[in-house]
Amino acid sequence: MLRHLSFFLIFSLGLLTNCFAAKNTPHPRQKAVLKSDSSTIVVRNFDKAALKSYSSQNDFKYDEVESGPSLWTRFWHWFWHLFDFSKLKNYKTGGWLALFLTFLEYLAIGVCVAALVFFIIKLIGVDMANIFRRKASPVILPYTETLENIHEIDFDEQIEKAVSLHNYRLAVRLLYLKCLKQLSEAALIQWQPEKSNNAYINELNNADQRMVFKLLTRQFEYVWYGEFIIDGAIFTNINGSFQNFKILPA
Amino acid sequence: MEDELFEQRTDLSKLSNAVEQIKATLAKIIVGQHESIDLLIAGILADGHILIEGVPGVAKTLTAKLIARSIKSQYSRIQFTPDLMPSDILGTSVFNPKTTEFEFKHGPVFGNIILIDEINRAPAKTQSALFEVMEERQVTIDGQTYKMQEPFTVLATQNPVEHEGTYRLPEAQLDRFIFKIEVKYPSLDEEITILTQQHQHKTAEQLLDIQPVLSGEDIVAIRQQVLGLHVEEKLLVYVAKLIHESRNNKSLYLGGSPRASLAIVNAAKAIAAIRGRDFVTPDDIIYVAAPVLRHRIMLTPDKEMEGASPDDIIAQLIQKIEVPR
Repeated sequence: MLRHLSFFLIFSLGLLTNCFAAKNTPHPRQKAVLKSDSSTIVVRNFDKAALKSYSSQNDFKYDEVESGPSLWTRFWHWFWHLFDFSKLKNYKTGGWLALFLTFLEYLAIGVCVAALVFFIIKLIGVDMANIFRRKASPVILPYTETLENIHEIDFDEQIEKAVSLHNYRLAVRLLYLKCLKQLSEAALIQWQPEKSNNAYINELNNADQRMVFKLLTRQFEYVWYGEFIIDGAIFTNINGSFQNFKILPA
Repeated sequence: MEDELFEQRTDLSKLSNAVEQIKATLAKIIVGQHESIDLLIAGILADGHILIEGVPGVAKTLTAKLIARSIKSQYSRIQFTPDLMPSDILGTSVFNPKTTEFEFKHGPVFGNIILIDEINRAPAKTQSALFEVMEERQVTIDGQTYKMQEPFTVLATQNPVEHEGTYRLPEAQLDRFIFKIEVKYPSLDEEITILTQQHQHKTAEQLLDIQPVLSGEDIVAIRQQVLGLHVEEKLLVYVAKLIHESRNNKSLYLGGSPRASLAIVNAAKAIAAIRGRDFVTPDDIIYVAAPVLRHRIMLTPDKEMEGASPDDIIAQLIQKIEVPR
């Protein structure tokens, strides 16, 4: 019962609200009242000084000024003009000559492009011979002299001096360096201070020579790196091995 | 000829015999890989840990296993997996209800020869567990330090980093390996020999025949002998210059550490001993330079883009330093 009563009250309240709203809304057919505006109109003009100032500023210039071709464009006009055979072609010549001139035109362009590519390749130092190979050719490292240059040492004198002082270790070292110098001068090895003794052994192509040089290298290594103490007798033996080593030219 | 002129200062006969025996035993099963085997033996003699890298199926694990079996000592193998925990390697404290105390349960790292298979399958957290044990030969857990038994050597295998499911090892760990040995594919002839041996069922029989050549005590004694070999002062300067150059080289983002210098000298001594000499030559240093440095150095990104390898850069470094003679 109470439920029905509350529905009735809500419905009645809604109906009354609608009625009041309809009374307050103006009727669409009611005539509008026109009012005349009699106030004085003051004309305002643009500030001429400000306009002049704006017009002199680049930000407010909207006209595109046509400029002449740039230096770069003019260069290319001049360049292509060099190969302009059209003047020749305009002469009343036969078809074959015109064809020949066209061919000349393309040939000249091709030569120029090839020359440009060649110049760039030379400039960046690309090796043309190995450009399509996977592995680059071995780079010969710059020859660096640090403590001594084996090509400038007077080995005979130095060895004699070392032997006289009983410094046989140094004498064996000088014998080995002298041997390397002789091999280098005979173009059997390529002397570089960064190479190891085994690298020099592997550079020798003659098997017999390689075997003897390997033996000499081992003797040097025992004396120099192994610091084995040697006396005059052992030195004489080692010296003999070095003297007997025949360096055959390549 | 050298033997006639120069008397041997160090008796390397036991070492030479052992090396020859190990090589002969391995040669029956492993076809080729002579350089890898030389380096493996040199690494063990130089008291270092060795990392073996190669694509799957090139007998990395087999080679490491055979080397381990040729030494009579406690051998353990750890298979590294992505879910492996540090305690799975080092061990953990377990509560004993009888004594009502925690007892330390030793992990598989407590051994003499430890084979870690596929080391780069485990994440960085697990790798870090190996730092202390590899360098200091000890494990510290719950404030208690446990010393490892001598000899202690880690032989680890890994797939190249580019492969699926692998992680790059931290630099700190890589630096703890004396060598990174790269195992290549066999040549055609070697592959035919492998197939023939397998077909004749020789490999399985020979695997059963392997007997230890050296004991753990022998290894310790030989290591002492190797570390005492002669190195001329100029060669030490040569090694220092080489490492110094690696730190200043424009192609390298990370150069060699002082540990790398020590590793080169020790490895060169081991190679000299294997070659029957009691002194080091520049060729020994050059021979070990690449396996010692290749995992320690890092190339700059532009060099990597160019396709350069660490070995290429190491070769360039060697070419820059004058050989002392």
